[in-house]
Amino acid sequence: MPELIKVDARGMACPGPISALTRAYRKAKNGDTIEVLATDPGFKPDVQAWVKRTNNELIELTEEGGVIKAVIKVTGKRG
Amino acid sequence: MKKVLILGGGGGGAILANLLPEEEFEVTVVDRDEYHVFQPGNLFIAFYGDSVEKYRRPIRTLLKPHVKLIRDEVTEVNLNDRKVKLKGGKSLEYDYIIIATGANLDFDAIEGNREILESYGDFYSTLENAEKLHKTLKEMREGRFVIAIADPIYKCPPGPHKGAFLSSTLFERMGVDVDVVLALPFPHAYPSKTISDIIEPELERRNIEVHTFFTVDSIDVEKKRIYSLEGEELEYTVATVIPPHEGPEYKVEPSEVKDDSNYLKIDKYTCLIEGFDDAYAIGDCTNAPTSKSGVTAHLQAEVVAERLQGFDAKYSGRTNCPLITDGMGLFIISDYDHPPIPVRLSRFKRLLEDLFVATYWDAIRYPELWQPIFHAYFEATSPAKLGERGW
Ligand SMILES: Cc1cc2nc3c(=O)[nH]c(=O)nc-3n(C[C@H](O)[C@H](O)[C@H](O)COP(=O)(O)OP(=O)(O)OC[C@H]3O[C@@H](n4cnc5c(N)ncnc54)[C@H](O)[C@@H]3O)c2cc1C
Repeated sequence: MPELIKVDARGMACPGPISALTRAYRKAKNGDTIEVLATDPGFKPDVQAWVKRTNNELIELTEEGGVIKAVIKVTGKRG
Repeated sequence: MKKVLILGGGGGGAILANLLPEEEFEVTVVDRDEYHVFQPGNLFIAFYGDSVEKYRRPIRTLLKPHVKLIRDEVTEVNLNDRKVKLKGGKSLEYDYIIIATGANLDFDAIEGNREILESYGDFYSTLENAEKLHKTLKEMREGRFVIAIADPIYKCPPGPHKGAFLSSTLFERMGVDVDVVLALPFPHAYPSKTISDIIEPELERRNIEVHTFFTVDSIDVEKKRIYSLEGEELEYTVATVIPPHEGPEYKVEPSEVKDDSNYLKIDKYTCLIEGFDDAYAIGDCTNAPTSKSGVTAHLQAEVVAERLQGFDAKYSGRTNCPLITDGMGLFIISDYDHPPIPVRLSRFKRLLEDLFVATYWDAIRYPELWQPIFHAYFEATSPAKLGERGW
């Protein structure tokens, strides 16, 4: 069963929301969806670079009231 | 007399024990080891060949005479009943408890990691393993020395960078052609972009090969390859992989006070364990959203000492993590309200770091004497004060 994994990285600057995403990614499998909330402005370019490098899919990247939301479909994990 | 029980006589536990006035508190420290280890010493053993003896002291000699020390392993903590069980069979009671047992390094979480630790040593786990890594590196004549990370949350965030810089100097001194490779889970050469921009030219100048977005997934010791979660691979001649860290392995009741990595959930300002007013956790064993560092453990110990004496002290999240090369240094300075400020590498800061190292044992034994000096330093270098001007 594909799962929805929610990661709340609001207020995290160091080591940052990408680290929280990486930790969630270790446990995820292909087909799962990871939703990350972050306030660190660096997260936007970082998550774009991350999906490119890891061959995952960025389904949504929005910002509202200082909170960045990224929704990622996991497709890049090795078998 | 208030009965205070401190689990762990490392950086956090020993300083706290020594800060509590003997007129008011009956203090007991429990530690499973005879020695307190100065962990940054791992670097100086592995890359300079220093002796193990230089970086450890019997815990007893670091504690004030009135502090009681029990050498045993904690196997269970019951915060509801205020009871602690020890491996030797003893059971202890308390009025206040402080958990300061540090982080556990899990070398079995990543396939192949225990094998490479046993083959080459490392510069994170023990002084003996650092000594082993030194021997391994001294025998290298060519190839690739890879430093990689298995989980983005590990103690001393600049530790791997220090390892890369100091090993490149070691190979230079040896006159051998070994490439140093640094693989990091982060988007840049350091979690903070500000710090990354500062150290990248230095990494480049020393030809240190940096791989970003590389979080170790597994190691194939036959093929000598490290595979990342992100889908890439690296070849090594000698490698060291900083393993995933965890909070205490022993049972803690109620179990909800641990998060899914076993870290104790605390209030990031007061260090009180969630749901309790007589139980604290400090140092590497907590989920506080700041760097796992000796400075954090030290500052949290001061906060708890104040709180136990009835004052409303709070930890600001201040970090002061040194990043050093053979001749230069900088400090990564941040707190809960400020991301790392811009800082320059300088010879002076490297010497300041040498000074901190030189004062370490004395600062543990007599924290009250060093407090005004450290406070002046932390105040003068606070992120709010230095801000965008940097240091
Ligand atoms: C290579 C390296 C370089 C570093 N450099 C720096 C630096 O430059 N600056 C900095 O600030 N920090 C640095 N650190 C980090 C720093 O050493 C730690 O953050 C610090 O030691 C944490 O203190 P602590 O009291 O939480 O835990 P520790 O110092 O790890 O102490 C924990 C104690 O608890 C005991 N213990 C554990 N489990 C049990 C049990 N079940 N029963 C009984 N006793 C137990 C252990 O024996 C130990 O004595 C570095 C770390 C490394 C590895």
